[in-house]
Amino acid sequence: MRRCGVSRTLRLAAAAAGAAVVILLPSAVSGYRSFQLVYVGIFFIALIGLNVLTGHNGQISLGHGAWVAIGAYTTAIVVTHTGVHALWTIPLAGLVAGVAGYLFGFPALRLEGVYLALATFAVAIALPSLAKRFPGLTGGGTGIGLDQPKAPFGLPLSPTHWLYALTWSIAAVLFAASWLLLHGSFGQTLRAVRDSEVAAASIGIDAAAYKRLAFGLSAFYGGIAGGLMAIAIAYVNPDTFPATLSILLLTGAVVGGLGSIVGPLLGALFVEFVPLYAQDISRDAPSVVYGLILILVMFVAPAGATELVRRAGTLIVHRLALNREPASEQTPSLKEAS
Amino acid sequence: MNGRKLLLALALLGLACWSATAATGAPATPGVSAQSITIGGTFPFSGPASLYAGIGAGAAAYYAYVNDHGGVNGRKIDYVTLDDGYNPAQTVQLTHQLVEQNHVFAIVGSLGTEPNLATRSYLNEQKVPQVLVSTGASVWGSGYRKYPWTIGWQPNYIAEGFIYGRFIVDKVPQAKIGVLYQNDAYGADYVSGLKSGLGAQQKKIVDQEGYEVTSSDVASQMAKLKASGANTLFVAATPTFAIQAVALAYKLGWRPIIFMNSVSATNTLMGLAAKNSSPDAVNGMISVRYWMDPSASKYAKPGAIELYRSILAKYSPKSNPDDAFNAYGMAEAWTFVDALKRAGKNPTRAGLMTALLHMNTKANPFLLPGMRLFTTPRDHFPLSQAVLVRYQDGSFRPFGHLLNYPRTRG
Repeated sequence: MRRCGVSRTLRLAAAAAGAAVVILLPSAVSGYRSFQLVYVGIFFIALIGLNVLTGHNGQISLGHGAWVAIGAYTTAIVVTHTGVHALWTIPLAGLVAGVAGYLFGFPALRLEGVYLALATFAVAIALPSLAKRFPGLTGGGTGIGLDQPKAPFGLPLSPTHWLYALTWSIAAVLFAASWLLLHGSFGQTLRAVRDSEVAAASIGIDAAAYKRLAFGLSAFYGGIAGGLMAIAIAYVNPDTFPATLSILLLTGAVVGGLGSIVGPLLGALFVEFVPLYAQDISRDAPSVVYGLILILVMFVAPAGATELVRRAGTLIVHRLALNREPASEQTPSLKEAS
Repeated sequence: MNGRKLLLALALLGLACWSATAATGAPATPGVSAQSITIGGTFPFSGPASLYAGIGAGAAAYYAYVNDHGGVNGRKIDYVTLDDGYNPAQTVQLTHQLVEQNHVFAIVGSLGTEPNLATRSYLNEQKVPQVLVSTGASVWGSGYRKYPWTIGWQPNYIAEGFIYGRFIVDKVPQAKIGVLYQNDAYGADYVSGLKSGLGAQQKKIVDQEGYEVTSSDVASQMAKLKASGANTLFVAATPTFAIQAVALAYKLGWRPIIFMNSVSATNTLMGLAAKNSSPDAVNGMISVRYWMDPSASKYAKPGAIELYRSILAKYSPKSNPDDAFNAYGMAEAWTFVDALKRAGKNPTRAGLMTALLHMNTKANPFLLPGMRLFTTPRDHFPLSQAVLVRYQDGSFRPFGHLLNYPRTRG
């Protein structure tokens, strides 16, 4: 019992420290880095969603970028056609994408593994072309330009810091929500369905319903990320959501660690920074560098970066424990002597 | 609870720090020091539009050459180019980097209509010049009232399409036109220009087929165009697809008169198309040209090709000198250097814009002879002339005289 209490305090402390880092980071780094961290926050939200679907429910999606696109277009279209403040369109972006994802769950139920991956990939490829078919609504290939982001209510924040605060506040709320969901019976059911649909069905779980819910929930997160992306970039067009975005997101989810809670954060850092650094290392062949880094990561940490961090943590704890070993052995011997 | 108070305090502290950073003023003219001027640009060095990478390389080589010859008013030009892969989300991020981290004086020559549209409002809000962008959309010249810090460079697509339309009305009366276009702003500009050039004879267009920049080929579009019975083909497509279109038409046994948009009409690219099919597929193709093609010395200014080749060999030895996009980049960079010289000893961003709006010169060595760079505060289209060219045995050869584009105004 006491052990559990200690680890709980530790966890709370770690969470508080993490929150403090997130809050203080923009003042420690340049404005541009803060802008990059806005992207990290957006990818973080998208990856939490993908992690629910792929990590906890075992359904591989190569089409997560499509939900991001739907969210982004929702925000852009609603803002340009109604003039409402972009801020209020974010929940709507999530809902529209969530409903789309839930509906996609119906046909997707019939597919598994690679077949499902291909079907989702088809959505990611088709969506940008679909957007061009309705130029009156979506602006066609030219897309939709939005006003540059600005802090509302006269808050004394630069546009970048406002975006940062917005993105990471939403990320924090959605992260907490996913934590509660995945630690409760909902998460357990999702994982039960992932591990064996037959076994889950035999104890009365409606596996199909849960798979659809997982799709809807993951698309909801993607849509929120998309809405934020539209606000941050202040521009939406089909080229903004290439099929490679979906691949990059799945890569981030796997690299971060599927099924873990902090995996999406590490994955988001990977999605944002590794392609940029690959460009720094080699202008001629960034994709080769990117591929090499990916192979290296999967070689060192096949279960994802979270696993690597955990292993490193265990190693350090073991070392500390080993160092203390002689001291703790001495005590009883002294006692014996006295 | 204590934890809550701590968090609140942290949040307040964070806010305070942010406001402090926000309040710090930037130096008078960012990017300009006593020794150097830093400028930036984004290009698709990777991805589907990477055939345009030569523009960034050619421009960078020219700036290096200028630096070795004393720079501009004693300052060296530092050109930071980044790879956006033609994805506007990347362009926005990298442009933030150029402005906020590299503190560039101006964004110069960034490539692509959509990437530049994506960054336009940000740059104008920050009052950072977005100049001589490498795209021929008409908005760069017509939108200046709303976006005064933005200006284009090359002749615009609508006007080019118009020229083909006029030519068809005058010289190809029996034409039945099939149009292949990229399904975006750039393709739409060309098609609308062609239609206005055809005027009352728009019925000559018998079929239009669009393709997505993300698609892998244009085979089905070409089959439909052939089936439509067209005897004239207008291609408003970026290089990869333009090459495919020409080769596919030939393989389908279709021999229309081809009008090729200038963005894909270089000797190297159409040489590739000829290799993929047959020289017959390309011979007779019509396009327009405004900057010099390094493999057609007869039509360039005297000494210009030698200058171009020596600069490229010294400062960008890995580049292929026959790739005309390098020359495009140099012609664009020459324009910027010229404006910077006229912006004065201590250039400001506003001074640069003023200089760019008072251009009147035929001196750019990398343009075709007679081409004039001309702007006024009310005319934001620096280049609005071109020569019709016809492809014959390996190169585009000018025919006729320098044409003045119709004015496109906003």
